[in-house]
Amino acid sequence: MSGETILKVVKLNKSFGGLKATNDVDYEMTTSELSAIIGPNGAGKSTFFNLLTGYHKVDSGEVYYKGRDITNWPPHKVARLGITRAFQVSNIYPALTTYENIRQAILTKQNRTLNFFTPAERLAKKDTLELLEITGLSQNTNMIAGNLSQGDKKRLELAIALGSKPQMVFLDEPTAGMSGEETRETMKLVERLNKEMGLTILFTEHDMSVVFGYARRLTVLHQGTIIAEGTPEEVRANERAQKIYLGEET
Amino acid sequence: MKKYWWLGLVFIGAVILPLVIGEFWVHVAVEILIMGLFAVSFNMIFGYMGQLSFGHAAFYGVGAYATGILLVKASVPLPICLVASMIAAGICALIFGYFCVRLTGIYFAILTLAFGQLMYYIIFQWYSFTGGDDGLQGIVPPDFLFGATNYYYFTLGIVTAALIAMWYISRSPFGYTMRAIRDNADRTKFVGINVRKYMLINFVVAAMFAGLAGGLLGPFNRSIAPDLCNWHQSGIPVFMTVIGGPLGFLGPMIGSVIYTFLMAFVTGFTEYWPMVIGLIIILVVLFIPGGVLGLVEAKAEIFRSKHMASGAEESGHTESP
Repeated sequence: MSGETILKVVKLNKSFGGLKATNDVDYEMTTSELSAIIGPNGAGKSTFFNLLTGYHKVDSGEVYYKGRDITNWPPHKVARLGITRAFQVSNIYPALTTYENIRQAILTKQNRTLNFFTPAERLAKKDTLELLEITGLSQNTNMIAGNLSQGDKKRLELAIALGSKPQMVFLDEPTAGMSGEETRETMKLVERLNKEMGLTILFTEHDMSVVFGYARRLTVLHQGTIIAEGTPEEVRANERAQKIYLGEET
Repeated sequence: MKKYWWLGLVFIGAVILPLVIGEFWVHVAVEILIMGLFAVSFNMIFGYMGQLSFGHAAFYGVGAYATGILLVKASVPLPICLVASMIAAGICALIFGYFCVRLTGIYFAILTLAFGQLMYYIIFQWYSFTGGDDGLQGIVPPDFLFGATNYYYFTLGIVTAALIAMWYISRSPFGYTMRAIRDNADRTKFVGINVRKYMLINFVVAAMFAGLAGGLLGPFNRSIAPDLCNWHQSGIPVFMTVIGGPLGFLGPMIGSVIYTFLMAFVTGFTEYWPMVIGLIIILVVLFIPGGVLGLVEAKAEIFRSKHMASGAEESGHTESP
């Protein structure tokens, strides 16, 4: 499977008022890739994810998933194709329990949400418990999600994205607000999902040790434009990237 | 199921009730059931979907007129009339809802209000079909439902069945999808749900139950009037839900018991009923914002935690009926 193009973005543009948030971006991913997009705040990383998942309408350009033009598809259709995302600021169901949060994604994937009469608690038990286990949320199964710690909310965020059994996941700063230990665990999980389940994963991250430790390909975004791309070593050696971004970090 | 044993007791109590109270109060009890069904259906939109509908009476009124007209003009059997009421209200909700679910919050409330008033004026003006502001008289139930007690048992059966159906819906994957939309509509889109479509389905289902409640009213009152669609009629389930509590399934029903009983009681000796209910609403909102059911649950929670403090009980979160 590996090596085939799964995502292809052609000359993508998006402006907000006078601000060019995405400027002629070309991008490609192959199946089972684990890559990162980096760039300073306001570089257009989140906007890029929003355009790919249909949250914002593109001004011009095209998005192809497995050769299919999905430009400007609504979010729910993009999700049904097998593309999900986890958000930077945890975006969960605060009044439902951890278990119910994850079950919702799984029931949706199983096309059971138009079932009116089977009590939900009888459905998708095995899959939900399994995902709780994988993401390390088992102790918090019955906790109201709004009361979870910041790190656990981010984990739940990831679990919801995985509940849809996606083939491709966008993770917007998956370890933001986590302790060092939590960050390592989460990134190990991300790596496992990529290696063992063949998930294609694209993430953004502020923590450079995370980026260089896990991403196999890096793309540097600055003011909506791609200024560098390549393996971590290549990007590290790229002068322009260093000046704009990496220089700030060290 | 064991924890719901008390609901069985409530039902047995409801069966015995007409044997121990006078005919006037049996009438009040029928009204409690009908308005309770109306309010619980309203709460499918308010409590579970998280949108305030201020035009829910449109569907209640359409249901009442569907049964009324079919009974008076075509002598159709009552059970068929009630099904027709649900269908008529559902179709009406499909048309109104198509526009309403595009909006949320205050805009949703205002648009439902506008559609409700539209329905009101249509019924008000259409003399040849609805009787206009004269209303519709002579809606007579079949012989076996003639007495107040008989009609009470009929209503009790239908309302109970409808409540059970709505209770199942509230716990189904569909019901949880509504909670998900209420909690975080954006997230629900990214999980793969067409949020507008689901909101519309829920709007239609809720309207069908409101239509059923309306259908039950005509043969009980023997007449109906366009006021059933008016905006203050839409306000009643809002009051009932706020009083009873929107977060429990039976909250609006409890609200109906309190509201309808008090109205019957208070109007017995004063005409200032609106002032009394206004005062009650203010007190509830200020002092028990979760409604009566919310208060009972909070007390029960304290009681439970006191008695289980020793055990390592997991904080099992279940929604009470």
